[in-house]
This record gives sequence, structure tokens and C-alpha cells, in this order.
Amino acid sequence: MSQNEFAPWNDPAAKPLIQFKNVTKQFGDFTAVDDLSIDIYEKEFFALLGPSGCGKTTMMRMLAGFEKPTSGTILLDGKDISPIPPNKRSVNMMFQSYALFPHLTVYDNIAFGLKRSAMPRDEIDGRVKDMLRLVQIEKFANRKPEQISGGQRQRVALARALAKAPKLLLLDEPLSALDKKLRQDTQFELMDIQEKTGTTFVIVTHDQEEAMTVASRVAVMNFGKLVQVDTPTQIYEAPNSAYVADFIGDVNIIEGNATKDGDRVSIAWAEGQPDIIGTPSQPIGDGRVSFVIRPEKIAISSDKPADRRNAVQGKVLDIAYLGNMSTYHVEMPNGMVIKAQAANQRRRDSLPFTWEDPVWLSWSDTAGVVLEGSGQV
Amino acid sequence: MNWRRIALISVPFLWLLGLFLVPFFIVLKISLSDIALAIPPYTPTLELSEGWSGLRDLVAQLDFENFAFLADDDLYWKSYLSSVQIAFVSTFMCLLIGFPIAYGMANAPTEWQPTLMLLVILPFWTSFLIRVYSLIGLLSQEGMINQFLMWIGLINEPLMILNTNWAVYIGIVYTYCPFMILPIYATLIKLDGSLLEAAEDLGCSRTEAFWRITIPLSKAGIIAGCFLVFIPALGEFVIPSLLGGSGTLMIGKVLFEEFFANRDWPVASAVAVILLLILIIPIVMYQRNEQKMMEADT
Repeated sequence: MSQNEFAPWNDPAAKPLIQFKNVTKQFGDFTAVDDLSIDIYEKEFFALLGPSGCGKTTMMRMLAGFEKPTSGTILLDGKDISPIPPNKRSVNMMFQSYALFPHLTVYDNIAFGLKRSAMPRDEIDGRVKDMLRLVQIEKFANRKPEQISGGQRQRVALARALAKAPKLLLLDEPLSALDKKLRQDTQFELMDIQEKTGTTFVIVTHDQEEAMTVASRVAVMNFGKLVQVDTPTQIYEAPNSAYVADFIGDVNIIEGNATKDGDRVSIAWAEGQPDIIGTPSQPIGDGRVSFVIRPEKIAISSDKPADRRNAVQGKVLDIAYLGNMSTYHVEMPNGMVIKAQAANQRRRDSLPFTWEDPVWLSWSDTAGVVLEGSGQV
Repeated sequence: MNWRRIALISVPFLWLLGLFLVPFFIVLKISLSDIALAIPPYTPTLELSEGWSGLRDLVAQLDFENFAFLADDDLYWKSYLSSVQIAFVSTFMCLLIGFPIAYGMANAPTEWQPTLMLLVILPFWTSFLIRVYSLIGLLSQEGMINQFLMWIGLINEPLMILNTNWAVYIGIVYTYCPFMILPIYATLIKLDGSLLEAAEDLGCSRTEAFWRITIPLSKAGIIAGCFLVFIPALGEFVIPSLLGGSGTLMIGKVLFEEFFANRDWPVASAVAVILLLILIIPIVMYQRNEQKMMEADT
């Protein structure tokens, strides 16, 4: 990915394509989106990520025009879009169910939007054929949606949504109906198509892996609010809260009391155990903190490593064998379980550790993230 | 050949054979016979004791005299034509009334739908005859409708509704509307709401989305409803004889009179055979159309 070159959100001169300004949406007394402000830039692949009911779908439906904000404004290209009905917006949506018209052929499904537009009749055919080629379904142009597979339907839905060349394409859980292997292949194709067409994509998903793979930026949502908006790398490596850390990937959260120690902090987390040395990303005061560390950042060994200050001993409680790697659940003397991951470089019959083995876990001073406050999610 | 498959298929097949095809051939045979003062009131009858020669005698005596008679007397073809017209107009009116009702039901809040459904089927809890009789009470010149219209001053003297074709239309539409509503409702309730949103998203107005998505996707229900109304309405006897006047020509009435007033079974059977042919034509056309569409799909 080209995150190094493409980062309009860091450029103060860049003009956002979409602006949410203090948008609130209420259904009865339930607040789906709560005073939310965000800028999304042209050519971005923006992911809205969160558990069901977090308000991500409502945000998308407000962009499409199916819902109106209770308060606040949404600007597209600097213009307030609230009074514009869905059929007049330069925004198209790919529905979770695909919503292909069952009585029309693949060709007519893709041509549907074009026929409603001002495009001259003779240009429509060319455009539809371009779209069929883009998503590689030329062969199925004359079939009905029920006569093609789920993966092909997904492509038709994408082609139909892209046909009118919208300024903004919304994708509502676009890959949730596909099986895992196909989903992974399609993710890369989506990115490819996004780059080729230069359209701004906003994708809604609850699948963190999908969001991390495709998006230029990810917005993690919870209870109608944005928890963190950042690039996938930042979200993963520098989560701003225990919630984000826990939602994205696997994580250990260790609570303790921090004492400042130069630009480091030492965290007292259990009686009779050495303090954990961590590096906060910004200066923090003494007090209650959560130390957040990913399992793959923790090394596991049978002897105490000499070169690392952070080392604790425990015994192997459980091993989750994942093929390419194994996750070890290691029980500390105080009963806490820490997860550590190690790549399986050798064959299974020679796994280095087994149940009940005493092992050492160790990590570097900068491997974890120190967050203020308790780690209650 | 798979025996189990044959056994499975033979159940509906035997049902149709025994309860439709055999009776039809009996009616067809009677329609080719002559009237007689006997029991049964036609000749020839099959003498099973004479075996093959009996059957041959029987076939030799059959002729198309009754059909020729139907063609000669303009009462019959006028009745057919008027029946088709009344059934067609009633079906169309049922569609005009039934579709909005079905649409409203399908779009009503989910918790209301069982109640609305019950209201549509509720009339069936009363006998059909009683319902038609009560229409007489409503439509007659001293009836409630006329009295109400005169009371509010809209008319000065009672309207002649009963014993006209108007009463027949009202009766048929009232009786058969549920048969139009239910199949249309069944297709509309299955319609995925996101299809309409997708249509809007792609540039349709609400009205355009209705014509381009809702109507084509409820076509199966509309056609089923039209058949369910048209077929019984075409042969309807009770409604025209109770509500219609002497000027109301319907083939069901003619059929009844031939059978029970004239006791002319052969002519009555010929009338019934032609009625069946009239009904079969649209059904075959519809099925062939469906088949063509399916073939075009694959």
C-alpha cells in the first residue's frame, strides 16, 4: 500500500470530499450516531469498523440518503446533502444482500442506473461492457442473478454501483456472504478496482481483518462515537484505548500502577513479580495504567533471556496450534494468563514446549503500549 | 425407470385421471348423444353386455348435432361473450381494488399483518349464499344504499342497481376480491425492501421504482390472482341468477337451465365442453409463455 505517499488527512491544505459536522442520529430514544465529526478525503478507501449496533450502518445510510441526520450537517464536495434525495446524489451503494434485481439480466442490472441518467443510449452499451470487463463477468452478461454464483453476484453488485461513476461508493459489508478464501482474494481485487477507478470508497464492516487489509484509514466505532480514526498500522500498533486494542486483533491487557522512570515507566502489576518497563507514546503521570501488548511481540523461551528487562516466568496452560504459528496461554503465578505467539518454524512433532512446561516470557521495552486508566472495555 | 419415482408421480396422476379426465370424457360423450325421455335422459347408452359390438354401435350413434345447435342459436354465443366480458371486467376491477389493499397490507407494520389478513378472510366464515342474499338487501330499491343516498340528498328517487349487470359486477368483485388480494400479498411480502432502495440509489424516483421493480416482481401474484378470479367468475351461476336481471346473460345460468329446467343433458354438456375449452385457451397460453421465458433464461 502507498500510505507513505497518500495521506491527505495529514495535509492541512487538502479539501475533504465528505464532512460530517456534529452529526447526531436518533431512532426514538436510541442514539445511533452521537455528535460525530469526521473528514473523508477523495480517493480514500475508508473503513467504518465496529460491532453491530455501533452506528456504522446508520452513517452509511445517511451518506446514501436513506436516513436524515437528526442534527448536524453532512457535506459532500462542500455542499449540504441533507435535502437531496437518494436518487439525485452522486453516491452509489453496494448492498450487503447485493439487492440485484432478480427479473433483470446481469447486463440490465448494470445498465439500470445508466438508463435513468442523462447518458445517451448509444454510450450506455459501451459503459456496461467496460464494467463487465472491469469485474471480469463478461461471460455472464445474459444470465439472471439466480443463475450465477455468490462471488459473481458480488461482482455484478459492484459493477452496478460503479457504473454511474459516482463520486463516492458505499460498500455495506460487501464480502460477508463469501467464504473465507474467496473473501481474501476479493479484498485485493476491491483495492485494485478502487485504485483503477479512483473512486472514493467507504466500506462498512465488522471484520477487522477486512478493514485492515483494504482501507487507507480505519474508523473504529462504538456506541455511535468514533473511538479512533487512523491508518491500519497505527490502529494496530498504537491503539489509543484498550477498546481499540482489544477490538483489533489479539491482545494482552495488564493493569498496574505506573511510576515515572525517565522517558519510561515502570508498572507494578503483581506482587512478587518484577515491574514491567514500558514506553508511553506521550508523557503520562503516575497512577493507574493499562499495559497493552500483542501476543506476537512476546518471545517464549525455556531459559531466562539475559538481554531483556521484561521477563516473567509461568507455565504453559494451553496451546492453540494454528498451523503457521501457535498461541501459548501461559499462566502467571498470580493466576493471570498471558498469551504469546511463536512461529512454527519446525514440524509439529518437535514443538519446543508442551503443557505444564515452565517457560519464560519476555519482551522489549517498546513492545507494548501504555495507556492511562484501567483497561475495562 | 425408478419404481419409487413412478409411485410418487402416479398419485396426482391417478387423482387427475379419476376425478378430472374420466368425468370429462363422460360429459364429452353425453354432449355427442341425443336427448331422450329416459333415465338417464340421453341416448345411446353403453351396453356392457354386448361387448365390443355394443361399443361400436355407441360410437356410430354419436354426432356433433348439439354443437351445431349451439352455433345456430345466438343465445349461446351471446351468453359466452357476455360471460367473458363480465368475468374480464370483474377481474380487472378486482385487480384495481385488490392490488392497493395487498400493497397496503404488505407494507403495514408487522404486528398488524395477521389482523389485516384475518379481515380479508373473515367473509369466508359466512356462507357464500347468505352473503349474496345480504347484497340483495343492500342493493334493492328499498335497500340500505338507496335509502342512504336519498337521505343525504344525493338522489331523489332510488337507483335501479339490483337485477342489472351492475349488481352482478358488485357481487363478483365483492366475492372474489380475496382471491386477488391473497396471492398478490404473498408475492409483495417476499419483496426485498433493499431492492427498492437500490433502485432509488441508482436514480429512480419512488414512483418509478414501483413500476420498474414492485410491479414486475409481483407479476406472478397478479397473474395467479387474475386466474383465480377470472375462471370461477366466467362460470358463475349463483351471483347472476340472484343479483342479475332477465337481461343478464351468463353461461352459468344457461347451463343450469339446460340441465334442470329443460332436462336437456346433451346440450348442457355441449355448453360445458365449450366453456372448458374457453378456459383452457388462456391457461395454455400462459403456460407456454412461462415455458418460453424459462427456456430463454437457460
